Amino acid sequence: MRRGLARMAVSAALIAALLTGCAGAGKDDGGQSGGRQTVPLTIWGAENDQAILREFADSFAEHYGEYADFDIQIGVESESTAKDTVLTDVEAAADVYSFASDQLSDLVNAGALQPLDPMEEVFQKYVGKSVEDIKKANTEGSVESAMMDGTLYAFPRTADNGYFLYYDASVISEEDAKSWDTLLAAAQRAGKKVGMTLASGWYDASFFYSAGFTTSLNPDGTTSMDWNKTADYTGVQVAEGMARIAGDPAFMAVADGDMANQLASGQLCAAVSGVWDADVAKKVFGDGYSAAILPTFTVAGEQVQQLAVVGCKLVAVNAYSEYVGWAVLFADWMTNEEAQMKSFEKNSTGPSNIKVMNTDIVQQNVAIATLGEQSNYGVIQSVGQNYWDPAKTFGEMVAKGELKEGDTAGIQAALDTLVEGVTAPIQ
Amino acid sequence: MGKVQTKAAACVRGIGRFFGDFKSAVQHGDLFVKLSLLWMGAGYFRRKQYVKSALMTVLEILVIVYSLAFGMQYVPKFGTLGTVKREATFNIMTMKNEFNNYDNSFMILLFSVVTFVIWGAFLAIYISNVKRAYELQKMAERGEHINTFLEDVDTYRNKNFYKTLLALPVAGVVLFTVVPLLILVLVAFTNYDQQHMPPGELFTWTGLTNFINLFGGGGLTITFGYSFVRVLSWTLVWALFATFTTYIGGILLSLLINHKRVKGKKMWRTLFMVTIAVPQFVSLLLVRNFFANGGIVNTICANIGLTEFLRNAGLISTSYIPFLSSPGWAHVMIILINIWVGVPYQMLIATGALMNLPTDQIESARIDGASPTQVFRHITMPYLLTITGPALVTDFVKNINNFNVIYLLTQDVYTTTNQALANSQAKEVDLLVTWLFRLTQEYYNYKMAAVIGIVVFAVCAAFTLVAFNRMTKNREEGYQ
Repeated sequence: MRRGLARMAVSAALIAALLTGCAGAGKDDGGQSGGRQTVPLTIWGAENDQAILREFADSFAEHYGEYADFDIQIGVESESTAKDTVLTDVEAAADVYSFASDQLSDLVNAGALQPLDPMEEVFQKYVGKSVEDIKKANTEGSVESAMMDGTLYAFPRTADNGYFLYYDASVISEEDAKSWDTLLAAAQRAGKKVGMTLASGWYDASFFYSAGFTTSLNPDGTTSMDWNKTADYTGVQVAEGMARIAGDPAFMAVADGDMANQLASGQLCAAVSGVWDADVAKKVFGDGYSAAILPTFTVAGEQVQQLAVVGCKLVAVNAYSEYVGWAVLFADWMTNEEAQMKSFEKNSTGPSNIKVMNTDIVQQNVAIATLGEQSNYGVIQSVGQNYWDPAKTFGEMVAKGELKEGDTAGIQAALDTLVEGVTAPIQ
Repeated sequence: MGKVQTKAAACVRGIGRFFGDFKSAVQHGDLFVKLSLLWMGAGYFRRKQYVKSALMTVLEILVIVYSLAFGMQYVPKFGTLGTVKREATFNIMTMKNEFNNYDNSFMILLFSVVTFVIWGAFLAIYISNVKRAYELQKMAERGEHINTFLEDVDTYRNKNFYKTLLALPVAGVVLFTVVPLLILVLVAFTNYDQQHMPPGELFTWTGLTNFINLFGGGGLTITFGYSFVRVLSWTLVWALFATFTTYIGGILLSLLINHKRVKGKKMWRTLFMVTIAVPQFVSLLLVRNFFANGGIVNTICANIGLTEFLRNAGLISTSYIPFLSSPGWAHVMIILINIWVGVPYQMLIATGALMNLPTDQIESARIDGASPTQVFRHITMPYLLTITGPALVTDFVKNINNFNVIYLLTQDVYTTTNQALANSQAKEVDLLVTWLFRLTQEYYNYKMAAVIGIVVFAVCAAFTLVAFNRMTKNREEGYQ
């Protein structure tokens, strides 16, 4: 209701303005006529990006100083919650902001993002490149995650939103880490556990994607699941593979977001997680700190390479931004090659820019290098809002042992309900 | 029931009288009374109340100007909630987007409602104004004194002082409660959700569809009806247990502390107050972490072998005790934790009441040979119930809407394994409010949230009415 109150306050102010007869004070339509114009821009970024954003803002203002004066404000908004804040009031949101790529479809559906293809003219005039050049400069996966229906909606900034395997080399050999069976056996011998989050539509989908299943997002916001036609295995077989891992005594199902705690507790000798846990893993595993791509797992008696769901951090331009042209240029400025290099140096972010990715200094970072390798075995997840809760529940059912290997009827029923919930029309 | 009927009849009669007086004023009034149908200042002008006449005229003009200049932009679109979608074209010269003249469904809804409220208030003033003009005419005919403006103003400091005092609160209630409430109710009849978010998209009226969906008529796939029944039952069970466990616990605790053999009363009381002093959300989040699947309590239980014991006994199937992550366990844990959080408050209230307990009754009961249990059952408890009854009712309603405890204890910890609930974004431990919160906050499903909001209101209102009615009845009988 707080939002309602804000609206009420606005409306009250409006009415008051009308009643006192000072309505109709037209808005000044840009300062183009009065010589140099001052362009106000608001940028939102993560807490630890604040310093680097300030640097970008200053260099941007200097670089484009010949065209206009810039008044750039920087605010804190985590990439993981950007969508929620923006959609609360799109018109009041920042001109440029970072967000995680899984929020793209919701933002596009709400009309909050400025499509970049119509901005071709601006890129040509001010930067001397085309939208096509931006797509070419970044990894295929990151560009794909920034596109919807063939239109580019955001600039890829990092490609580090994926998961892979951290392990302690003093317990687990490189060879053991290649399949779940050997990995769990090695952990069992050492009296330790392997952790992974199952109760999350972001993690548990990896098993299904690995077996050739796909999801896609329809224009009306519903999700399509093709879990039968293209896949080499049946859904039941994949779920049994999951249940087999989850039922292993050396496996620990970790709640979403709890991995750092579990790593720190020292009971794990390997964990499936992303670069955000790199520091904890390094500290806990010490000299044994290693990373590898996800192992293979057993489906219907065969070994299948597990794929990871990979995402990116993207930079968006608000469709309601006043100076949308300058906002687009700023977004480009903070995501181009030099900017990504600087981000890596300062904050160890995994770049999406191909050139930056291939520099020696980036390749020496274990976690980011592994993630780069993993993205060859990565899937861009494209799902609608009805996907998340049912998928999370399915993962929890496997994690809790409610679905067991061999219980094909139970698994089939659960899968049917899952598909029914995920593909349901939005009401 | 009879009482309610007479009240309703009186209400209808009152409305009838309001319009009846208006009719007779128009029929029997002189030229200026009739003229004040058009020019609201006419009646006052005739009776030489020029300031009042001017004020009324200004008000009339303002409302007309407002309606034409502002209200009419929105009200005609109220039927469709807008038809023109937003489109942008980029202009490289100004570096700006240029928009078409698009409709914003939410603004149309909001400002239409505001306009309706203004018109409603204006209509009431308008009718009273004509009646007042007629009254003035009659007063003038009888040769009575007609107040000057200053004398009128003076009444607002004396006879009508309550109106002066009430003006601000009433305006506040209308602006900040009635209007948002009306909008909430109206949203329940639209398709305002993530697919229809203004300003980018439009939403429109869908009639009773959302209510039908909630009560189980909405197709086979989305299980809102199924979830609604479960969430509602848990809400009521929770409210009942949460209210009575803390209530009884609070009374027992305060009786214990108040007992004459207990030493250091103040110290004990202060000790229990500490839970109040620490902000609730801090203690709840801490407790949530203690009881998480990988939390400290589970580690201890595993180390002392309790987990193993429960597993062998077949009570759990997991390698941890699912304190807050499995239906039955979580329900019990939430109620237990709530006792710990809620008892000190109830203890405070009960202590206050106990200190004023009429000692003469207890003394005489003792002399008559009543046992302590009898004294408690027949004197202490009935007394406490009369004193704390209204608080009990409000507590129940508060618990129906007890967002903090449920949300903070289960968010990010509890994952349902009931797929039918998951398909409509609910969990076994959700109250109607927490479900509503996640529907709006995570899924932008404003329309369903509005429907649930209306249901919560209906449940609370019905319960409060019944409970208060019974209570006042009992008390009246008790005192007679």
